[in-house]
Amino acid sequence: MLRMRSFLPPLLFTLAYAGVSLGVTNSYYQLILTLVPVWAVFGLSWNLLSGYTGLISFGHAAFFGIGAYATALGQIYFNISPWLLIPIAAMLGGIAGLLIGFPTFRLQGHYFALAMLAYPLAILYVFEWLGFQEVTLPIKRDAPIAYMQFADPHIYTLLGLAIMLATIVLTQVIERSRFGIALLAIKQNEAAAEAAGINTLAWKLRAIMLSGAIAAAIGGFYAQVLLVVTPQSVFGMLVSAQALTVAMFGGVGTVWGPVIGSVILIPLAEILHAEAGARIPGIQGVIFGLAIVCVILLAPEGLFWKLRDLLRKRTASKATVSDATETAAAANVTALKPAARQGAATGQVVLEVRNLSRSFGGLKAVQDVSFRLHKNEILGIIGPNGAGKTTLFNLLNGFLKPSQGEVLIDGRDMSGQRPHVICEAGVGRTFQVMRPFLRMSILDNVVVGAYVRARSDEEARKMAADAVVRVGLSAVADRIAGELSTKELRLMELARAIAGRPRILLLDETLAGLGHSEADEVVAVIQQLARDGMTIAIIEHTMQAMVRLVDSFLVLDHGAVITEGLPEVVTRDSRVIEAYLGKKWVGHVAN
Amino acid sequence: MNKTSKGKIANGLTRRTVLSGAAAVSLAGIARAQEPAQIKVGLIVPLSGIYTRPGQVMKMGAEMGIEHINAQGGIKALGGAKLKLVVIDCGDTTEKAKNAAQRMVAQEPDLVAATGSYLSSFTLAVTEVTERAELPVLTLSYSDLLTDRGFKYIFQTAATASRQSELGLPTLMKLAENASGKKPKTVAMLMDNTATSVATAKALKEKLLAQEGLQLVVEEVWTPPLSDATPLIQKVRSAKPDLLLFMPNAVSDAKLGLEKISEFGLGQGKIPTVSFSITIAEPDMLQSVSPDTVQGIMTIVANWGSKGHEALIAELKARYKEPWMTQNVISTYGDMWLMKEALEKAGKADRNAVAQAFRTMDAGPSKYYPGGQLKFDEKGRRVGAGVVIVQWQSGVPVTVYPPELAQAQPFWPKKS
Repeated sequence: MLRMRSFLPPLLFTLAYAGVSLGVTNSYYQLILTLVPVWAVFGLSWNLLSGYTGLISFGHAAFFGIGAYATALGQIYFNISPWLLIPIAAMLGGIAGLLIGFPTFRLQGHYFALAMLAYPLAILYVFEWLGFQEVTLPIKRDAPIAYMQFADPHIYTLLGLAIMLATIVLTQVIERSRFGIALLAIKQNEAAAEAAGINTLAWKLRAIMLSGAIAAAIGGFYAQVLLVVTPQSVFGMLVSAQALTVAMFGGVGTVWGPVIGSVILIPLAEILHAEAGARIPGIQGVIFGLAIVCVILLAPEGLFWKLRDLLRKRTASKATVSDATETAAAANVTALKPAARQGAATGQVVLEVRNLSRSFGGLKAVQDVSFRLHKNEILGIIGPNGAGKTTLFNLLNGFLKPSQGEVLIDGRDMSGQRPHVICEAGVGRTFQVMRPFLRMSILDNVVVGAYVRARSDEEARKMAADAVVRVGLSAVADRIAGELSTKELRLMELARAIAGRPRILLLDETLAGLGHSEADEVVAVIQQLARDGMTIAIIEHTMQAMVRLVDSFLVLDHGAVITEGLPEVVTRDSRVIEAYLGKKWVGHVAN
Repeated sequence: MNKTSKGKIANGLTRRTVLSGAAAVSLAGIARAQEPAQIKVGLIVPLSGIYTRPGQVMKMGAEMGIEHINAQGGIKALGGAKLKLVVIDCGDTTEKAKNAAQRMVAQEPDLVAATGSYLSSFTLAVTEVTERAELPVLTLSYSDLLTDRGFKYIFQTAATASRQSELGLPTLMKLAENASGKKPKTVAMLMDNTATSVATAKALKEKLLAQEGLQLVVEEVWTPPLSDATPLIQKVRSAKPDLLLFMPNAVSDAKLGLEKISEFGLGQGKIPTVSFSITIAEPDMLQSVSPDTVQGIMTIVANWGSKGHEALIAELKARYKEPWMTQNVISTYGDMWLMKEALEKAGKADRNAVAQAFRTMDAGPSKYYPGGQLKFDEKGRRVGAGVVIVQWQSGVPVTVYPPELAQAQPFWPKKS
């Protein structure tokens, strides 16, 4: 139901646009109306990769140009119809995506962006060298329809619109599916995504293949509209920039962004060219540039998000009343707080660490650590800053490969496996630095973690909703993460970690930055999880909260285990006090 | 079968508008028999972006042409109707050129002919539109492809690129032989990898060098912009060729190369240097290099202000402060006269009639294009179109070939 309803706006938009187009008889305005969906689709293809994964591509012209040249050369040399060539172009674009993505995804951030920039520029010279400086589509006077050469320019616009509608719907489907969630998770934090059970390389490759295929298809259609293909016009810097411009102007990471950007910018550029440029040649570039600079300064994430934030603010001010119920819900969780957990769990061993070591050059970050985690136990891992606690977690969930030793999960050695594999084996974790998806609702944030177990989108949403209930956030489940307090964000991260129903949960400073009462609420939630059968290892500084929470402590200093045992015993251990507070305090505390 | 009906739907609107426009013109002509009507002709050239400068120069030529035609009584066959220039900026990309052409045919339905668009890629895109709108276009662009598409509404006034190199090199060799008394034997070729240079080099290497008995001793290609010419010129110096073909397409590249040639003591014609494009003879060159550096350098171009154009050159200097008349000015000026010729022949201000007039025209020797006739073959190429060889002499590139157009005698620098 919800899905069908969300396809309505693009359909209505397309129909309205088609209506406007059919009313236009001036062939020049019609050409502009054709170019709007062309650049919108190109922007959407860029958005599919860069908008959702955050891996900025400066080189989408590579795919666009491959599509354009495939469509042009196929007609010239093999006399194939563009109706067939455009799908072929899409396939070539997909293959190009795979070939480009595979080596380039080793890079991140600016390095990825720059490497992508190189591809179209390199291909441009190849096509020049091949002697394809100027290629024109042969005119087919006897079979124009079969060769997509319409005398009526409306048909080009309608075709462009059809491609745009298809791309929008495809993007929307992806956005809501496991695919889209995986891409968004990669954008926020690739490491966290991997830890949440997402095979990031596989999803990124799928994204670039699909993105390349769409870009190549629209490049082919563009060649059909422009009728002339030159390396500069399809592989040039300006082409790659066009994708970025329309997407960034309209809004990155949303299906509407590139469409809004294209609908505004393409006609604007042309009107300026025709009107201002006729009076003062060249002024159109200046005005266009200034307009973009102003919009980017006022709405850095694009028009769509700016407008949505404004709308939300307006509706939010009306809805402050609902906050009362939220506090009630939180209080409810606090009420569940148990008196105290009786003794340490001594059930079966679910996680065993044997002689685990990891060094970075000369620094031994973790040395010879061994411990066991029993089913249903809460283990607190403490130690001063730099003791190697987070490194230990990174070794446990696969971010780092141990130099020595092994990690056994249910008796199986999992050391050195990729994080998403370990996640699938039932180990979830949260991070010291929170990585919420600020634009998404709490529920959507949590869904990311559910996919590791869920077989379908529905199941994932059910599991996510369940996790949200367990951490006591159901009252605010539909709020966007950007509006939440630190406590709620911590709980949301917790929900994301448990949404995939892990058996072992690694919590990295979940109480950091919380006040006393807030910490108590989170502690209550964690205790409830343990009562429900989860096994938990938690890193924490705040001793006070920890003493009431954990069944036993593992104390690290300089990467090695100093001691382990029951909370009462460990907190009185002089070695622990020395490690935390320094030698001169040992005497104080003993008294 | 249904081809015609489709065509009718397609062009119905434009054609109807054109016809009504034409009807309006003739009606107006009858109504106001004393007052001659205006006939619109188009100039679609780059007036923004990196190709602005040639576009501006073409506009100067067009404006002068229109003014002269109108001053001499306009189109006599149409009761002295005056020509009016419609200037359209085709921007600096193929897409912009296509859009501008669409704008031209949509917003200016009563245009009878147009000229443009400097770069052959732009002309290709523009003529894809004008062909469908049945608007005749004259062009100075010389890519062979332009007139190889079977189009009926494009007319190429310059010799095509392949023809230019066929004509240019033998002429140059003759010039060398006459001036220095011996034929060059070895040649070095330094070129950028733009479309024009690549096409020229292909023709040279595949056929012409062998035909002229020239041995290619150095061949170097760069991608503009050239950052350092030292390694290129070093190779030339050690090979000591009889002839250097230097083919830049950007003024900055030309400057770097020529300065290095001069620095290495190869300038002033120690090694005779020849180019194949207008770049090296653009007025901009003198802003960055001294007249001494370019002295003696020759280039083969499609057209140039020459003997018989003295008054025009003087007017250009006075009005626009242009020191000399490049091919862009003289050809565009000539295009206006060619359009006038066609309008006189057609006897009506209708684009199809004008196109037909271009196709059937046979107006004798051409005054503003080098060589040949004012006549087009079935492909739309001007019959007998020739080339001009220009040589830098005391800070001015002057025409030295063909003899009937030459403003000065060529000098072939002797090897010391």
